[in-house]
Amino acid sequence: MSTVHLWPRRVLESQLARPLILIVAIFVLWDLVIRVFKIPPYLIPAPWDVAKMLVAEWPRLWRESLFTGYATLGGFGLSILFGIPIAMLIAYSRLVESYVYPLLVFSQSVPKIAIAPLFVVWFGFGIFPKVISAFLLGFFPVVVATVMGFKSMETEMIDLARSMRASRLQMFLKFSLPQALPSIFSGLKVSATLAVVGAVVGEFVGSNSGIGYVLQIANGNFDLPLMFAALFVLSMMGVILFAIVDLVENAMIPWHQSRRADVMTAATA
Amino acid sequence: MKALLRSVAMFLAATMLSAGIAQAQTKEKVVLMLNWYLYSEHAPFFLGKERGFYDQEGIDLDIQEGRGSGVTVQAVAANTATFGYVDVPTMIKAAAKGAPVRSVGVALQLSPMSVMGFAEKNIRAPKDIAGKTVAITPGDSMSQIWPLFLKKTGIKETDFKTVAGDAQTKLNAVMSGQADLLLGYVMDQAIKLQDATKKPVYPIRFADYGVNMISSGIIVNNETLKSKPDLVKRFLRATTRALEESEKNPEAAVDAMLKANAKAGVRETLIIGLKQTTALYHTKETAKQRPLRVSMTDVSESLDLLAQYGGLDPATKGKAEDWVVLDYLP
Repeated sequence: MSTVHLWPRRVLESQLARPLILIVAIFVLWDLVIRVFKIPPYLIPAPWDVAKMLVAEWPRLWRESLFTGYATLGGFGLSILFGIPIAMLIAYSRLVESYVYPLLVFSQSVPKIAIAPLFVVWFGFGIFPKVISAFLLGFFPVVVATVMGFKSMETEMIDLARSMRASRLQMFLKFSLPQALPSIFSGLKVSATLAVVGAVVGEFVGSNSGIGYVLQIANGNFDLPLMFAALFVLSMMGVILFAIVDLVENAMIPWHQSRRADVMTAATA
Repeated sequence: MKALLRSVAMFLAATMLSAGIAQAQTKEKVVLMLNWYLYSEHAPFFLGKERGFYDQEGIDLDIQEGRGSGVTVQAVAANTATFGYVDVPTMIKAAAKGAPVRSVGVALQLSPMSVMGFAEKNIRAPKDIAGKTVAITPGDSMSQIWPLFLKKTGIKETDFKTVAGDAQTKLNAVMSGQADLLLGYVMDQAIKLQDATKKPVYPIRFADYGVNMISSGIIVNNETLKSKPDLVKRFLRATTRALEESEKNPEAAVDAMLKANAKAGVRETLIIGLKQTTALYHTKETAKQRPLRVSMTDVSESLDLLAQYGGLDPATKGKAEDWVVLDYLP
C-alpha cells in the first residue's frame, strides 16, 4: 500500500483535524441558533463574543488556569498514589474488600460541594483544600477500575503462570499488572476529568485565584462571554489531561486490542 | 368499555369540581422569589400574607427562597417568578445587558452593606481594618462596592489581607478565626454569627462613610408591566401595607415568618434584624413617604457609583428612569 498521500488529505484525516472540524461546526450551529431564535445575550452569549473574550482575557485566563491546573494535578496524582495500592489490596484480600469497599462506595455518595466548606475551615485558603477536593472526586474511578482490572485475571492464565513456576513477584509483574493496565487506564481517564471538576468546586468555596474564581466573578457581573470563555479553558484542561493519559497508555500498552488500529506494524508482547 | 366510561366520568367530575373551586376563589397565583434563604429582611412578606393583605387584593402569594439576587433576577427575566425581591443594583447590571426587568419599588433605600467582625476584636472604625484579614465573596455586590468604601475611608488594599470564599465559607472563616472581618448585610450575617456563637458582632456600615447605594427592592418583568399593570399595582399596595405594618410591629412580622418556616432563625435576633432593616426603609428625603417610594436622585447616585465601581458599563448606564419606575406604587 502506498504511503505517499497528498498533504491536504493527510491533514484533514489526521487525529487533530477531526475534533477541530467538529468545533468549527458547533461554532457555526451555535451562532445560527442564536440568530434564528433571537436569543438575548444575557441568556446565551454569541460565539464570537466568547472568542473575542478568550483572546482579550487570555493572559488572565492562562494565569488562573495554572492555579487550577496545579490543584488538579495534585489531586489526580494523589488519586493514583493512593487509589491503585488500595485497589490492589481490595482485589487481593477478601478481608480488606469486605471492610473497605462498602465504606468507599458510601463515602462516594456524599456530595463534595457540601463538605468543601469544611475543608476550608480545616485546611485554610491555600491550594491544599482544592487538592483534597480534586482527590476526593478523582479517587473512586481509579479504585473501581483497578479492582476490576486485577480481578479480571482469567484462571487459565493463573494456571499457565503456575505451570511455568512463576514467583509471586513475576506473576504480578508479568501477568497481573499488564493484564490490569487497560482497565486502570480507562479509570485514570475518567478520574482526570473529574479531578478538574473537583479543583473548581474547591475554588468556588474558598479561593481568590483559579478558573473557579473567574467563574464567580463572571457570574456576579452577568458577564456570560467571560463565563463561557472560562468554561472553555476548563474543558481544554480536561482534554489535555485526558490526552496525556492517552499518550502514556499508548506507550505502556501498545499491544492492547483497543490500540491495534492505530499501530502500523504489529507489536509482539 | 366499562373502564373507559368510568375514566371519562371521573375526568368530567374532576373538571367540574375544579371549575367550581376556581369560581369560588378568583385569586391570582403569584410567585415572589426572594434574594436569598430566609432571614429577618423577609419577614414583612409573611406578615402581609398572614394578615390577608395579599388575599384582599385577590393575590394568592407563593413566597420562594432564592439563591442570590443574580439568580432571582434571571428567574424574573425568564418569567419563572412573577416578582422578585432583589438587590436593585444587581438587577440594573443585568437589565443593562438586556434582561427585560425593572424595579417598581425600592424597600431598602439606605445600604445594609457593612464590614463586620466580633465586637471583642475591637474593630470599630475603618482605620482599625489595617493589618486584619477580610473575607469577601468574589463577584457579589458587596465585593464590588468595597473598593469605593476603601477609597472613601482612605484605606489601601495592601493595608489588609483578603480571603475569598462563598457565603458559608465567609461565616466559617470569621467563626474559626481564619478571618477577622467579613463583608455582609447588617441584618443577615451579623445575626447569623451572633446566633451561632452568642458573641456580639460590630458592623461598620458603608452608609456611615458616604457610600449611598440603594439596596433591596421589588422587580418585575417588563412584559408583566405591560400585560398585567393592575396586578402589579395590587401587589405593591399589599406589600406597602406589609412593610408599614412591620415598621410598627416587627414582633408580629417575625412571628408570622417563623410560623411559615420555623427554621428561619432565632426569634429574638430576627426581631433585632428586622428593626435594623426597617431603619433603612427611608432616607431623610423620603422620611414622610410610604415605603418603597425611593427618591430618583438616590437611584441616580447609585447608578453613578455602579458605573464607576460596580462593573456597570458606562455606555449602558442610562438614566434612573430606565431602571426604576414608581408609577405602580399606591
